[in-house]
Amino acid sequence: MSGGLPRRIIKETQRLQAEPVPGIVAIPDDSNARYFHVDVAGPKESPYEGGVFKLELFLPEEYPMSAPKVRFMTKIYHPNIDKLGRICLDILKDKWSPALQIRTVLLSIQALLSAPNPDDPLANDVAEQWKVNEAQAIEIAKQWTKRYAPSQPMPS
Amino acid sequence: MSEEDSDYGDCSDDEMDDDDDDDVYGDYYKHEEVEMENKKDDPEYFEFQLLKVEDVDRLLNENVEALSRAINVTPSLAKVLLHSHKWSVQDVIDLHKKDSLKLLVDSRVLPSVKCTERVLSRNFICSVCMQPSLADALCGVSCGHRFCRECWQMHFQVQIQNGVSTELECMGKDCNVLMPEDFVLSIVTNPRLRDKYQEYGFQDHVKSHPELRFCPGPNCPVVIRAPVDKAKRVVCDQCKTCFCFHCGLEYHAPTGCETIKRWLTKCADDSETANYISAHTKDCPKCNVCIEKNGGCNHMQCAKCKHDFCWMCLGDWKNHGSEYYECSRYKENPNIANESAHAQAREALKKYLFYFERWENHAKSLKLEEQAMKKIRARIEEKVMDSSGTWIDWQYLLDSAMLLKKCRYTLQYTYPYAYYLEKGSRKELFEYQQATLEAEVENLSWKVERAEITDRGVRVG
Repeated sequence: MSGGLPRRIIKETQRLQAEPVPGIVAIPDDSNARYFHVDVAGPKESPYEGGVFKLELFLPEEYPMSAPKVRFMTKIYHPNIDKLGRICLDILKDKWSPALQIRTVLLSIQALLSAPNPDDPLANDVAEQWKVNEAQAIEIAKQWTKRYAPSQPMPS
Repeated sequence: MSEEDSDYGDCSDDEMDDDDDDDVYGDYYKHEEVEMENKKDDPEYFEFQLLKVEDVDRLLNENVEALSRAINVTPSLAKVLLHSHKWSVQDVIDLHKKDSLKLLVDSRVLPSVKCTERVLSRNFICSVCMQPSLADALCGVSCGHRFCRECWQMHFQVQIQNGVSTELECMGKDCNVLMPEDFVLSIVTNPRLRDKYQEYGFQDHVKSHPELRFCPGPNCPVVIRAPVDKAKRVVCDQCKTCFCFHCGLEYHAPTGCETIKRWLTKCADDSETANYISAHTKDCPKCNVCIEKNGGCNHMQCAKCKHDFCWMCLGDWKNHGSEYYECSRYKENPNIANESAHAQAREALKKYLFYFERWENHAKSLKLEEQAMKKIRARIEEKVMDSSGTWIDWQYLLDSAMLLKKCRYTLQYTYPYAYYLEKGSRKELFEYQQATLEAEVENLSWKVERAEITDRGVRVG
């Protein structure tokens, strides 16, 4: 399927801009319409509240038959997200369905921030901490949010 | 499908009959070997057949057709139903009688109730590619989700390339309805992709069929069929692989399938620690000359000083043969619970190495004895030509060597079993029997290697 951008991707991009998901900004890259710069705001009442997390999202050649590739660029303390920013989320792997969209993926990631799942860990050390001492884990997550994901862009 | 030759067992039988070798003796020995492997009065006897791909296809198709006729569904749907019910036609028919809707939903032929949301195209737009389409160009199966052919085709292509076939699902959101074969094949046109789809499907079907197993031999196309799924010995006569029908690993009685898996994983993990034992030489405990073990028997006699000793424990053989054989029994430190963690770890390693060493040693002996088999044949030939005894007189030696091979194989697999056995009277009894077997095996091995007479009156052991 070389050549122009599939109609599906054009439609999705248009809708993301016209009716954005609350707390999520996804902007296609100037030079590559399959690559998106994403900002996700930490959900309320989660340890990530007040932070803004940068992600990258890429639509592979087979999209929507294959899942988008998504990765956290901002450091985050979360049992299902590892040091490299890779995310353990079923719909990004075997539970992907062509009926899902960029929008649904980003919403699921937002939900994952609200409800960490230490029983299906990607970052083992974090998950362990989460199980042994949840209060302390949440405290670390809050500190990391302040340190690495300030909502105001750092003055450069 | 023709009705002739409906018994799939026929093929393998025919092949065996074709095997009329011109080498009379070679054939005679071969025949003998088969007899030893699978005799009906052997406690290890197991009934099985070797099938070719065509035989398996025929077997599966017979089931599909029978079910398709019995409950009036398409062969493709019958295949889905059988695949999810261990290929039992009767079970599916019974479930169908009881509650056909439940059967179809459980088997993912029909959508479950919660999945009634229909992503039916507004204005005939395929919701996956967002392209407008003609109404009749959108297609799908029982769940009502409709997409265009191009999207289905792409979806199937990506999934098949990932090795998915019987588990191909609908593209609808949260829809887990399985795609029947006829629908997939009506969409996928690329011949290579069609072949792949059918090949993966075949593999899935064999795996879901309780009576069928792929031969685990490298690149071996044979499928084994046995009426009962038991952890019994199967020998593939194409590639000669000997394996356990239940788990597909090397045959491992008396150790169970789970245990042998644990043991083999452990051995692979600990291979570095265990490496040092792979050295093939030891020093004679009496005169210290360096000895390489070149036979299977663990009863060693130093070529230099003629001292008889045990290869495993280096103890005097005199204390081994006659009364109580102690060398196979691991003596645990009785006070271990009170020792430090470090000492306990060392003790655990010591215990593992003890069992591993014996396991590994029998494996090596088995290999060496395999070579000895050739020597025995040469020796018998020589003796017969020399007119000392007839073929029949010497037959006992081949039988003994064959029996030795079997016994040593079993003996090797008693070690993982003993390693995982809880301490107690069961373990003591097991180790007593193991020790007895060990003593007899070494005795037999010693005698087979040195047999010079045809006197059948002398009992071995």
